[in-house]
Amino acid sequence: MISLYIDTSSNYLYSGIVKDDKLVSSIKKKYEKDLSKEALPKIIELFDKASITPKDLDKIIVVNGPGSFTGIRIGITIAKTIAWALNINITPISGLNAMAISCNTNTYKMPLIDARRGYVYGAIYDKDNTTVVKDSYIVLHELLDKSKDLDEVTVITNNDLDINLKKEKYDPDILKIVKHFEESDSINPHLVNPIYLKKTEAEEKAGL
Amino acid sequence: MKDVYILGIESSCDETSCSIVKNGTVELATSTSTQIDIHENFGGVVPEIASREHVKNITLVIEDCLRKANMKIEDVTAIAITYGPGLIGSLLVGMQAAKTLSYIYNKPLVPVHHIAGHIYANSLVEELKFPLIALVVSGGHTELIKMTDHFNFEKLGGTLDDAIGECYDKVARVMGLPYPGGPKLDKLSKVGSPTYKLPIPLNDDSYNFSFSGLKSAVINLNHNEEQKGNEINKADLAASFQKVAVTSIVSKTKKALKDYNINNLIVAGGVAANSILREALTDMCNENNIHLSIPPLKYCTDNAAMIASAGYYAYKLGRRADYHLNSLSTTSLQ
Repeated sequence: MISLYIDTSSNYLYSGIVKDDKLVSSIKKKYEKDLSKEALPKIIELFDKASITPKDLDKIIVVNGPGSFTGIRIGITIAKTIAWALNINITPISGLNAMAISCNTNTYKMPLIDARRGYVYGAIYDKDNTTVVKDSYIVLHELLDKSKDLDEVTVITNNDLDINLKKEKYDPDILKIVKHFEESDSINPHLVNPIYLKKTEAEEKAGL
Repeated sequence: MKDVYILGIESSCDETSCSIVKNGTVELATSTSTQIDIHENFGGVVPEIASREHVKNITLVIEDCLRKANMKIEDVTAIAITYGPGLIGSLLVGMQAAKTLSYIYNKPLVPVHHIAGHIYANSLVEELKFPLIALVVSGGHTELIKMTDHFNFEKLGGTLDDAIGECYDKVARVMGLPYPGGPKLDKLSKVGSPTYKLPIPLNDDSYNFSFSGLKSAVINLNHNEEQKGNEINKADLAASFQKVAVTSIVSKTKKALKDYNINNLIVAGGVAANSILREALTDMCNENNIHLSIPPLKYCTDNAAMIASAGYYAYKLGRRADYHLNSLSTTSLQ
């Protein structure tokens, strides 16, 4: 079983190839603005390093959001193009879920991405990574309110958010994420699209 | 000689398009997903919405195009992609798809400038004859370009402010015509007469254009008549505006042809679909014995056939890009 993981939902490229339960090549690299230029060449390097070609893939797991709209589109377009062209199984996943899975703790987990103006993209998962509060675009304090009755919560974020809870930085455990979703259902590559969780400003203004 | 099949991808604004063109001149198939209906709700193209639509449609249009052409990607010679100029979020969706296909099928990647694409739309009708003057008129461009050979571009002049298509859409909006207003203004002007007096834009010795003054004059005229309680005759205003705008474009084009002693004119870009402009250019070319080429309407608006056609000539010239190719929102024609 050979799987490719792609996450471009932040200003990092997180990508890796898992072959027979081993992470055979991976990258975690920050890009200020050259993600569109660098994402594919870096993914090609992963293939080359693992001595495999896209045709050898059994599965693509791609983060479909939430996060940087432009970033997500880069990873999704690469992933769906490979999956469509080579007829490879593809499973889109939530980046917040990936954050929860990567965090080794026996508490509830609250992955957060700063969405500015007091808002976050966030969710709450239990220790088995099952959803307690689904992925939302939400005012930070509202989400914190929802966690009040939970006995212990760990916040996972790479943003500087003022929260009075135990905090951990997000460092994706690509092997663990891939193992978690390897057997998940695949969907038609044409239907793999970003989940933005947020309407565009134009749509909000027009009340659409 | 072996036939060359170029698969072109275009996503610079609000059309997601894929096309396969044989030897630069024969369009085998094109599939385009247009977003006009969506952006109509907002009175213009909303970049973020355009980008979202491109991701939804990109693999669908490529699949549809291949099916229509009855070809596989393995059968194409190279992949041509619009790298700019345009909306950056839109451009990069086509770019990622093109780079990915180029990688997995090991096909050369040919970068194409969007305006070169508009110009080469003409070679889908007849081969370009050099030297020529290309008049590029669209929502983002108003330019006169001299070409002495394939991909040899010399910009003679361009707009100093608004592009002509932008000016059409803005004037149409002031007149209450729904987006996209340019074609509706064109249609409306046919039942009017040029009775309103409007200033002739930038009547000088350069090859440059200026349309913001003309736009302001229409807006002011509209406003003043409203203040006075007079009803504007929209058809007459449309006809008056068209007459001035078209006269300016035709006279500068005529001057460029004459000054450089060139007998071939090609027209490119979305505003090449404008009926009054087509008529006026046809008359001018007939009077001056100029060979005129205007692409049919379907090649005037954004489409991937023109990118594949330009891509063929770029491919023949050895133009290639590696997988680091990036999209550029602004970039000069080359």
